[in-house]
Amino acid sequence: MIDDGRPIFLQIAEQIENDIIQGTYPAESQVPSTNEFAAFHRINPATAGKGVNRLVDEGILYKKRGIGMFVAAGAREHLIAKRSEGFRHEYVQPLVTEAAKLGIGADQLIDMIRKDMKQ
Amino acid sequence: MTTIAETQSVARRGAHPSSTTRIWRVVKLQFTNSWNILVLPVLILGAIFVLNYAIWVIAFRSSDMSENALDGTQYSGSTIFIFAYMLVVAIQAINLTFPFALGYGATRRDYYLGTSLTWLILSAILTLGIAICGQLETWTNGWGLRATFFNAVYFGDDSFAARMFTVFAAFLFFFFVGTASAAVYVRWRANGLIVAGLVLAVLLVGAVALISFTDSWKGVGEWFAVTGGTGVVAWSLVVTAIAAVTGFFILRRATPKS
Amino acid sequence: MNTTPSAPPPSGTGDLVVDVRSLTKRFGGFTALDDVSFQLQPDMIHGLLGRNGAGKTTIMQLLTGQDFASHGTVNVFGERPAENAAVLEHVCFIKESQRYPDNFKPKHVFRSAPWFFEHWDADFAARLIDDFRLPVDRRIKKLSRGQLSAVGVIVGLASRAPLTFFDEPYLGLDAVARQIFYDRLLEDYAEHPRTIVLSTHLIDEVSNMLEHVLVIDEGRIILDEDADDLRGSATTVVGSASRVEEFVAGRDIIHREAIGGLASATIGRLTPDERRAATSAGLELSTVSLQQLIVHLTKVSDKEFKEAA
Repeated sequence: MIDDGRPIFLQIAEQIENDIIQGTYPAESQVPSTNEFAAFHRINPATAGKGVNRLVDEGILYKKRGIGMFVAAGAREHLIAKRSEGFRHEYVQPLVTEAAKLGIGADQLIDMIRKDMKQ
Repeated sequence: MTTIAETQSVARRGAHPSSTTRIWRVVKLQFTNSWNILVLPVLILGAIFVLNYAIWVIAFRSSDMSENALDGTQYSGSTIFIFAYMLVVAIQAINLTFPFALGYGATRRDYYLGTSLTWLILSAILTLGIAICGQLETWTNGWGLRATFFNAVYFGDDSFAARMFTVFAAFLFFFFVGTASAAVYVRWRANGLIVAGLVLAVLLVGAVALISFTDSWKGVGEWFAVTGGTGVVAWSLVVTAIAAVTGFFILRRATPKS
Repeated sequence: MNTTPSAPPPSGTGDLVVDVRSLTKRFGGFTALDDVSFQLQPDMIHGLLGRNGAGKTTIMQLLTGQDFASHGTVNVFGERPAENAAVLEHVCFIKESQRYPDNFKPKHVFRSAPWFFEHWDADFAARLIDDFRLPVDRRIKKLSRGQLSAVGVIVGLASRAPLTFFDEPYLGLDAVARQIFYDRLLEDYAEHPRTIVLSTHLIDEVSNMLEHVLVIDEGRIILDEDADDLRGSATTVVGSASRVEEFVAGRDIIHREAIGGLASATIGRLTPDERRAATSAGLELSTVSLQQLIVHLTKVSDKEFKEAA
């Protein structure tokens, strides 16, 4: 679950983001505590806290004193918008590069994508 | 996090165990399993007593109930064992508990003082035990056989108090000579003991030579005569004290070896 | 007591649990620690890592007042630890080589520990004894190596000392028992934050738990960094020898290997653009674990050491 190559706090933040995007944590629902994340992933609680706090700073999560951490209203939409920006850079561009290398033309590529999206 | 502020001054935060508490817990540590330091020596002494008793009964029977059959037993050295054994007890206990107590965060000072207090308490317990057994021996007319075991160690016809003082001082002597030896061992291992043994041997031979060359043996003999049994025992306390203080300074810089 | 500082305390001492300056320790002609300086922050889990004989245990012995420095200063909670009851009161040192009185049983250890550790939690200790299935009524001498390690681990955890050292605490413990140790440590640390120093060679197992990493080699600190910053700080590039050479030219190479026409080189952190460049040059990239990184680092300095000698 945790890979060696990147800071753990980033990976924790990303996993929470993924769960928000997929609807596991709807708006205004409570997310697990820092210590629960730490115990589950067997990581340092301070590192888990750093990941959670990153999302608090971005306004994705908010704290209710003495109760815990909650998903902010509109967090999902915000995350989808943010991810979509990166989507082209991170996924489309390498796809196009590889396609060009293999001599796959634009029409052929679009066809392939259409087929896969139907499945 | 609020805990950060608390940790900052942790070395001086709140009430700390006083020096007495810290020394006392070392005493408790030494007594946590009292098998080696108390139970075993007493059991061995008991076994020797039972063995002696069997021999007395045989001797008593075979000499036709002769009144003087067991006269020699007051010079028996059986009880000397328990004194000398305390040297072993001290060495063994310190060798085992010193690295352990330091692992618990005890300072060498508290450890040494606590251990010394343990020896005082043990000496008192053992002296009391021997006193009670000695009185029983007297009341039962030598266990019904006019035998001498617990009273054998008391020289001459000193008063009860003087005899108890002798026993107590003898225990202290062996405990602290053992402690000093243990301190040498814990700090410098076997090499230290060899060097210390050599130094002591040289000092002893030197003293003997000095007395011989100056023809002072007569004076030495007179000193013992004048000082008397109890007086000599009292002087042994000086040696005990020197051993105790030396042991302290040796152990103060010792490190636990693995 | 002899705690009067001969010099004013170093600035910022108040925030630090441990402050070591220019520490040198010699055993006869052997220099175990050579001019070492570092600090430990409160309430963090630190990893003290390095090869056997690198000086890890010596550092911990100096920090816990069990040994005396040849040069330099050691401050723990702002004071010298040696023979200082006020400091040692808050310190627990669990080491692989810890000796126990050989007539003791584990129950004697757990009975006497609370006298020395004011934060001792007896319920927690009882739970740990259950977890590790430790026979408390068996003589210490008769315990297996793993059971003996469990005794130390239980004391280290249940003592809740504000500064706890675990020096290779789990010799002979199997994978299940080690996992119990890690889980209990994390759980208890989350509820009772304290400064923990974990010294081990099983780096892969603990790397996710560490917040800060100190690597010592040949008596010197060669790495003193945030654990998360170290992640991805090195990358291994694999591919045909000529392409690898071309790509890593001008970079600091941490480690290099080659088989026939194939080569791999471990280099520092790559930017996303550099990663793309490497991939499009037909090179494969793989991440370097903390353990691999330390193996590479300590090997390198070993070579340098030999060359210098």
